[in-house]
Amino acid sequence: MQDLRVQFATSGGTVTAVDGIDFDIDRGEIVGIVGESGSGKTMTALSVLRLIPEPGKITSGRILFGEKDVVQMTDEEIREFRGNDVAMIFQDPMTSLNPVLRVGFQVEEAMAAHRRFSRRQSHDRVVPLLQRVRIPAAKDRVRDFPHQFSGGMRQRAMIAMGVSNEPSLLIADEPTTALDVTVQASIIELVRDLSRELRAAVMLITHNMALVASLCNRVIVMYAGRIVEEGPTRSIFKNPQHPYTWSLLRSMPRVDEVEKERLISIKGLPPDLGRMPPGCKFHPRCKFRIDRCMTEEPPLGEVDPGQMARCWVLMKNVPNPEAVAQK
Amino acid sequence: MAQAAPVIQPDLELSYEVPEQVTLLTDAWRRLRRNRLALLGGAIIAVLFMVALISIVWTPYPVWLQAVGPTYQPPSLHHLLGLDQAGRDILSRIMGGALITVEVGIGSAVILSLIGIPLGLLAGFYRGRVDTVISFFINIWYGIPDLLVALILVFVLSDALHLIPRGVFVIIVAFSLTRWMDVARLVRGQSLALREREFVEAARMAGGRDLALIFRHIFPNALGPIIVQATFAIPAAVLFEAFLSFLGLGLPPPTPSWGAMASDGYHGMDFAPHIVLAPTIALSITLMAFNWLGDGLRDAFDPRMRR
Repeated sequence: MQDLRVQFATSGGTVTAVDGIDFDIDRGEIVGIVGESGSGKTMTALSVLRLIPEPGKITSGRILFGEKDVVQMTDEEIREFRGNDVAMIFQDPMTSLNPVLRVGFQVEEAMAAHRRFSRRQSHDRVVPLLQRVRIPAAKDRVRDFPHQFSGGMRQRAMIAMGVSNEPSLLIADEPTTALDVTVQASIIELVRDLSRELRAAVMLITHNMALVASLCNRVIVMYAGRIVEEGPTRSIFKNPQHPYTWSLLRSMPRVDEVEKERLISIKGLPPDLGRMPPGCKFHPRCKFRIDRCMTEEPPLGEVDPGQMARCWVLMKNVPNPEAVAQK
Repeated sequence: MAQAAPVIQPDLELSYEVPEQVTLLTDAWRRLRRNRLALLGGAIIAVLFMVALISIVWTPYPVWLQAVGPTYQPPSLHHLLGLDQAGRDILSRIMGGALITVEVGIGSAVILSLIGIPLGLLAGFYRGRVDTVISFFINIWYGIPDLLVALILVFVLSDALHLIPRGVFVIIVAFSLTRWMDVARLVRGQSLALREREFVEAARMAGGRDLALIFRHIFPNALGPIIVQATFAIPAAVLFEAFLSFLGLGLPPPTPSWGAMASDGYHGMDFAPHIVLAPTIALSITLMAFNWLGDGLRDAFDPRMRR
């Protein structure tokens, strides 16, 4: 994905939801994209499938999938691409299944839309697929309607539909937010196992840091349509360099650090995408800002091997961050 | 990070008692069954259908046969509904009229649905220019006086060009061509709402073709309101046919149309009211039955009525 920019032409002017995103995902890699609501993470994912809602448009950049550029594909190419090479799992399994069609039929239909499997094969694959995603009594359950499934089972059925064509990239848009905590763990485990089995890359969109920590190899932190920090999960969690990432991590309670420090909240709201502040987009909410932040936007620079951050200050240069943040 | 909670592995081979399948239709049927008036309507319609079917193979007397007894004879044991001004058995003609009523009603409902549903689906699904064009035609059509168009169609297609013989079919065509907009507008609205639903988006993301999205995901979910709308189209078509025939512009004699029969007996109303009463009562009961059933269906398909 190179220099992706998504803009919305609204009556109040052009709004840039995603501004110059640059990253790549390798086969078998699990990448987490985190950020607040409105930070552009869902738009980034939707642009991979070229399904930006109206009146949004990809105004620049390329999305390369292997050799092919998604932005340049014809309508038929992009249709064949969706679900076949890239599959998406949704946030809310309650509304993502058609209420009037049987679950088995819907899984079969996901395969019928593409040419990878014949009609016969598609039909025969439904039950094994449902068993694979651990739906109990799958043989009988294929004839159920979605409302006869629990939330977790529906999400499993959605995942079965997602992996039915053995895609090489799976986009999971907050796959566990709508589910019980107990179900979440098993869904996460399922996604990890399947990605390993299919050697598929996973793009996990979430604001749940714990989920990222337990699942992802690499993390991309987005703020106001930009990548503010990016790197291997371990180093990001140990040494966040961007104040935003740092504050995000400090805003979560941790089981292993009982009452050692107070949680930190990030004051204020993300900027209005139509009226962006000058300079660093995070500076109005940043406790560590310097004068330069207000006028000049920092570039995404390497701070450690493999880790990049978009900041003039960087947390490693702040002597006592806790004290500053609590002020 | 803390270890993920242990995952309980389900028994995948576990067999499972399939509970009663509750589809939208069975659910609607359950609620319909509790509605007495709708059931009565349904029963009357069932009788109407049966009578119509029987009339194909058997009526007490041929529907066209004149002078089976004295003209204007009131109801008697031999002729339960009496004889008309030409000495034809009215019961036989009512039975034959039932067949025409069923043909006109069902035929019109089917054809106007065939016109309205695809147009509505396309307009709602593609929006933009397609919607503009289709909605434009819907609005134009609403402005055209339907009776006038129907008359012109009947005259031009049958009487002038002899394309379609004057009969049930031309009435169905005339009615459908002037009344498809209600269905189209309804389906357009449904389609506009349904296309934004997540399962449609999910199917699109899975690479579903437009046609598959429209007919597999949007259409079945709009079926309830469509059925209701089509049910209400039936009595309208029946009344339309009776009205045209009453004016002498519908089905030609000796077709036993209820409207034509009422028109025939109109002149002898003061001394032989049974000739007018028989077809008009049959017509009223039929219209009432379809409206009761339609009301019942509307309530049954309304999710807010779900208990």
